[in-house]
Amino acid sequence: MDWVFLAELALNGALTGLLYSLFAIGLVLIYKASSVPNLAQAALTMLGAYVVLALSRDVGLPLWLAIMLAAVIMFGLGFGIERVALRRLAGRPIIMILMMTLGLDIFLRGTTLAIWGGTSRSIELGVSYEPLFVGDMFISRINLVGAGVAVVLFVAFMLFFRTRTGIKLRAIADDYMASWSVGISVERGVGLSWALASVVALAAGVIWGEIQGVDQALSLLLLKGLTVAVLGGLDSILGAVVAGIILGIIENVGADFLDPLVGGGSRELIVAAVLILTVMIRPHGLFGRHDIERV
Amino acid sequence: MQEKVEAQHILSMNSVEVLYDNVMLAIKGVSIQVPKGAMIALLGSNGAGKSTTLKAISGLLKAERGRVSRGEIQFEATDITEMLAQNRVEMGICHVIEGRRVFEHLTPDENLIAAAPAGMSRSALDAEKDKIYDYFPRLAERRNSHAGYLSGGEQQMLAIGRALVTQPSLLMLDEPSLGLAPFLVEEIFGIIQQINQKEGMSVLLVEQNALAALEIVSEGYLIENGRVVMHGTAEALKANSDIQEFYLGGGEGIDFHDVKHYSRRKRWLS
Amino acid sequence: MFYRLSGVYHTSYASDSRIFKVPADRNLAVFFLLFGLAAPFIVPSIYLNSYMLPWLIWTAAALGLNLVTGWAGQLHLGYAAVMAVGAYSAVHAARFGVPWEFALIIGGLASSVIGSLFAFAALRVKGLYLALTTLAMQFIMDWVLHHSPTVTGGSHASLQSPTLALLGQPITSDAGFYYVAFGWCVLVTIFMLNLKRTGLGRALVAVREKDYAAAILGVNSFYYKILAFAASSFIAGVSGALLVATFFFLATPEQFSVAVSIQALAMVIVGGLGSIIGSYFGVALILLVPGVINNLVAAIAHTLGAQVNVETLAHIPNAAYGALIVIILLIEPLGLGKLYGNIREYLMVWPFDQFRK
Repeated sequence: MDWVFLAELALNGALTGLLYSLFAIGLVLIYKASSVPNLAQAALTMLGAYVVLALSRDVGLPLWLAIMLAAVIMFGLGFGIERVALRRLAGRPIIMILMMTLGLDIFLRGTTLAIWGGTSRSIELGVSYEPLFVGDMFISRINLVGAGVAVVLFVAFMLFFRTRTGIKLRAIADDYMASWSVGISVERGVGLSWALASVVALAAGVIWGEIQGVDQALSLLLLKGLTVAVLGGLDSILGAVVAGIILGIIENVGADFLDPLVGGGSRELIVAAVLILTVMIRPHGLFGRHDIERV
Repeated sequence: MQEKVEAQHILSMNSVEVLYDNVMLAIKGVSIQVPKGAMIALLGSNGAGKSTTLKAISGLLKAERGRVSRGEIQFEATDITEMLAQNRVEMGICHVIEGRRVFEHLTPDENLIAAAPAGMSRSALDAEKDKIYDYFPRLAERRNSHAGYLSGGEQQMLAIGRALVTQPSLLMLDEPSLGLAPFLVEEIFGIIQQINQKEGMSVLLVEQNALAALEIVSEGYLIENGRVVMHGTAEALKANSDIQEFYLGGGEGIDFHDVKHYSRRKRWLS
Repeated sequence: MFYRLSGVYHTSYASDSRIFKVPADRNLAVFFLLFGLAAPFIVPSIYLNSYMLPWLIWTAAALGLNLVTGWAGQLHLGYAAVMAVGAYSAVHAARFGVPWEFALIIGGLASSVIGSLFAFAALRVKGLYLALTTLAMQFIMDWVLHHSPTVTGGSHASLQSPTLALLGQPITSDAGFYYVAFGWCVLVTIFMLNLKRTGLGRALVAVREKDYAAAILGVNSFYYKILAFAASSFIAGVSGALLVATFFFLATPEQFSVAVSIQALAMVIVGGLGSIIGSYFGVALILLVPGVINNLVAAIAHTLGAQVNVETLAHIPNAAYGALIVIILLIEPLGLGKLYGNIREYLMVWPFDQFRK
């Protein structure tokens, strides 16, 4: 057993896992505020990346400005999606809400690809591809940047949830009726959580766009993001971060052991297995608090 | 003359009907007046329509698929029948809903912050919090633990305190005594009375515990089957023999051997 | 059309629980049955085989999913995986030399067995968590199909289906394929129509509404959930096998991917949960309309002389398909079946609206 190699796998896995967390934070924000599992998060991620590309390449804005502008666009879009599509389904059975987000996912993905096409393009953030060595371990710089963004966002949200607006959002997550009774606009709060989740999706989209190019494959993140969110407890941002690191390590180390045995491509299998095991053994995840619908 | 009478009332409800789901008529023409600075009680048994009346005033009906189908509600001479709940809170109506619904995963401190109006400055909020902790010293001790772990009485205090943060001029309380020990009920009612006297806040109190409620209010309405069936001063209601038998549990000095059960019908129901 | 409830009086339970309580409904059903039988002689074969045939088989499959999702209330995002099991088992059996009649049944049973595994997830969780579990199982099935060449047919991952033959007759004509699909769809529809009227159907609905309340009434919800999954999986397996045998002729893993599972669920929900006629509408809408819209866009672009990017054209059906789901859910969350029900109810008593209950 090569311990350095194992540590390198684990470290890089953890960094990749933090990128999943970045994606999962968006899911958690929406689920926390409105108990809606947003299966369209992957499409939003992809759309965010495409908007940045369109603004920087086709319009010719500098990248930082394109990202800023895209954040504003995504914020508005998230707000709009909630207003138009989700609000009318409030209180309906979960299956219809689930289908609505799936429909949105398909629609957004189809529209994005119809406008910009499916050929892979990459966003160049200007991160060097020079290998970075810590001791004997090789670390991918861009993953390090992505993990940094995830951690920064996590801290930002932790601080945000201590502000007055953040506390109101948490109040909404707790009890709609009581929120209305003290004059909190639940509708605006849920809309805000969608808007924030869309901006988080943009961040995830930009980082992933740099790593693997902007194309359809971005929507494959959904399973991993969902698994991270569920493992973390679906309504805990801290959970999403911790679960991301755990899943990243399990996936990277596990794939290294399994791939030679099954002939490659075992990552998806590991992720799906983690999802099933989590739901079966501990449906409320590591940090979740909601009462789970157990049979 | 008429106008002057109107102006004295902070709230007036005129023959309001409420429909749930477009089919179920929950209250059938309720009219209530709350004078400025007064404490009024709504009495009645389970399912009589007391909570629905409060929800019609606070605008929370919408969340339960109900609506005011007839009549109008005026608050400080403005028609608020169709107004959104949050705008009514801004105007000064705050509804402490039934069952001590505090934000369980927030601390008492955060519960109070969550209810702060948008424009309230930090120092004003701090002053408001201090004032509420003065009213409810028990809360101050536990201001940083999870609200879900507070005792029933403390949760009720927190719910009332949270309502006070919104700076209401009309405070509506839905069964604050529910499931609390008598000494706690007394304590809470005492504080409500204090708030009413100190701040000049009007209070509309829904209670099943008629005995306790009539001790602190000046007037009461009796609601049965979605209608107001009796209205009078607290003294008059306490003295009313029907009220005594049905809601206060017999008069004093009655020998229970002499009480014929069912001897008295609820005359207003026929 | 004119006050169709006229003269309809049910005087016994037996007559009140008939499949078609109103003669007008029965007449409509008979009309469409006859039309279905005559279709090969009326409809040009290109439409028959590229539109009507998949529509019928998918309707049968959607009805199966409706059984478990609409009736028993169990979310299922892995339906395509179950169909894949049926398809591959049946094709392999047929290639092995088993007569197709038995191969189809083998496919159905194999699906039932695998489908019941999904049921074990349903015994532990429900709602969102069940949806996620079944989704994960779908991903695992995808993975298995992509990584086991012995099942999926070598490096090209495609498996040729032997010629379909029923009762010793090889079926090769377009009309023949169509009749097989038609027969299967009618069979499943009759099963579902009758299921509504049985204790089993009512038990499933009871489990859907509140499983522990059903348990208190003596309905063994574990048993009925497994039964619902097994029955629906059987329908899925046979439908999957028929889809390969009469439409694709070649089984590939892509035909049973996650997207297909989502599509099946979309058919059921757009059609209306628990609605049989709705499943017909839902499948038609999801399966056919995106293609129609695509042709429309191409035609409009052509007449306007505008150049439409090939890639754009390729993705428009997807966008349209997503938009359809969103729009239908916004208009009527209970789906097309509910919309049809509203119209039917209106026409039932027209022009005497005041008699409406």
